[in-house]
Amino acid sequence: MWIPTDSIRNNNNMASHGLDYDGCNFFRQRLVLSTLSGKRVRIKNIRSKDDNPGLRDFEASFIRLLDKVTNGSRIEINQTGTVLFYQPGLLYGGSVEHECNTQRSIGYYLEALLMLAPFMKTSLKATLKGVTNDHIDPTVDVLKSTALPLMKQFGIDGEGFDLKVVKRGMAPGGGGEVVFICPTRRTMRPVQLTDPGKIKRIRGVAYSVRVSPQMANRLVDTARGVLNKFIPDIYIYTDHMKGANSGKSPGFGLTLVAETMNGSFLSAEMSSTPQGQGDPMLPEDLGKNCAQMLLEEVYRGGCVDSSNQSLALLLMTLGQQDVSKVLLGPLSPHTIEFLRHIRDFFQIMFKIQVQKPSEDERKGGDKVLMTCVGVGYSNINKTLK
Amino acid sequence: TIKSGSEEEELGALKWKDGLQQKASEAFLRQQAAIPNLRKLVYGSVVAADDSEEEEEEELGGLFRVSRPQKSKRFRADAVDCSRFTPDSAHNWDLEEMLNSIRDCFVTGKWEEGQDAA
Repeated sequence: MWIPTDSIRNNNNMASHGLDYDGCNFFRQRLVLSTLSGKRVRIKNIRSKDDNPGLRDFEASFIRLLDKVTNGSRIEINQTGTVLFYQPGLLYGGSVEHECNTQRSIGYYLEALLMLAPFMKTSLKATLKGVTNDHIDPTVDVLKSTALPLMKQFGIDGEGFDLKVVKRGMAPGGGGEVVFICPTRRTMRPVQLTDPGKIKRIRGVAYSVRVSPQMANRLVDTARGVLNKFIPDIYIYTDHMKGANSGKSPGFGLTLVAETMNGSFLSAEMSSTPQGQGDPMLPEDLGKNCAQMLLEEVYRGGCVDSSNQSLALLLMTLGQQDVSKVLLGPLSPHTIEFLRHIRDFFQIMFKIQVQKPSEDERKGGDKVLMTCVGVGYSNINKTLK
Repeated sequence: TIKSGSEEEELGALKWKDGLQQKASEAFLRQQAAIPNLRKLVYGSVVAADDSEEEEEEELGGLFRVSRPQKSKRFRADAVDCSRFTPDSAHNWDLEEMLNSIRDCFVTGKWEEGQDAA
């Protein structure tokens, strides 16, 4: 476990009992950083002015998942659910099965597991059931093709490191299932990801369940139409799951990933509107919009996809006591808050430099170079062999 | 003569005041054009956010309070916890101009000196 070098910093936020926060936003990052740093956290005023105050079912489901992968965590929630106290236990890992609440997709739960899994006592094998694809959170397909290669850059690899979509379940019904296996690491390798290189190919998955398999082909055609202006090497797999593997609700969607020469992955994705929630969407429109979202992501650029910025910054923070550098696109609001939380929990502040592309370069918008020295976190939970 | 001398002195002393507004606006624009200090934006604004925490409450007829939860800080604190970064709606990817702005991100674009596809 990481031990703070200077006992207590002059931080308003830090009372003697741990860290205090307001509101339910950034819920996962607070609990994840609390678990990793061992600092207690108290979140007050959770939807306190809402007509329906307190924690939602999906947040309760998330806490239950956190309880399953840790040992000895203490969780206290007040009667109305507006105050949560969390004292983290040890990260245990092992074989875990969890029914994820369908208000949010599995991506919501998985994003937190990706951050915790490398630091567990035994390697994690998590079977998560619920909604695999929706239009709010990053889907399991995108996490599989962007977050996993990113983690490999930090030295997390081997022993069946994988994320497998066993059954697909669209929102709102769900009924999907994924298996996530992640080995543990004692230390993180510092990284120097400063040049993404040029994009050499685009890959993707067009999926459809409980609708005509032709939908996926229509998605592929329009998406290719947009992207072929840039690069010929495009392959989009069509994935049509049937019967027991197709979940409870109909739907379709598209995931696109651009791979660069230096092994960076930029992604975009879109899912059809859930059944019974708003206007249905034509596959042609969805394919085109998704392709244009990939162009937007390329414009933002950097070595890390915009939805994985926090994961990269966390692994940099928890690296060995050495300099890590990562080039990012513009920081997302979620990432900016994550940086503030990293400062609260680990007392690490990043050096943030803007890099403007030169006049004659056609490489999209401004980039941000993030530099930090890792805290030298070592995973003492991990069993020695 | 003494009078004119003091006048001259006055002129010299006041010279720096000439075009003060212009200088100020130039300095301001220079600062605006300079690279924004992101570190300050990320780590500094927490204090600023705390300062604005005192909720301004308008009173109607001294009896009712106008509640605008959407605008308060608390609304942001209770917003949806999601890592997705919604694209900039100002970018229209139907325009050739936008498409050209990212051409060199692809292997099919222009390569820098000293680099090649191998």
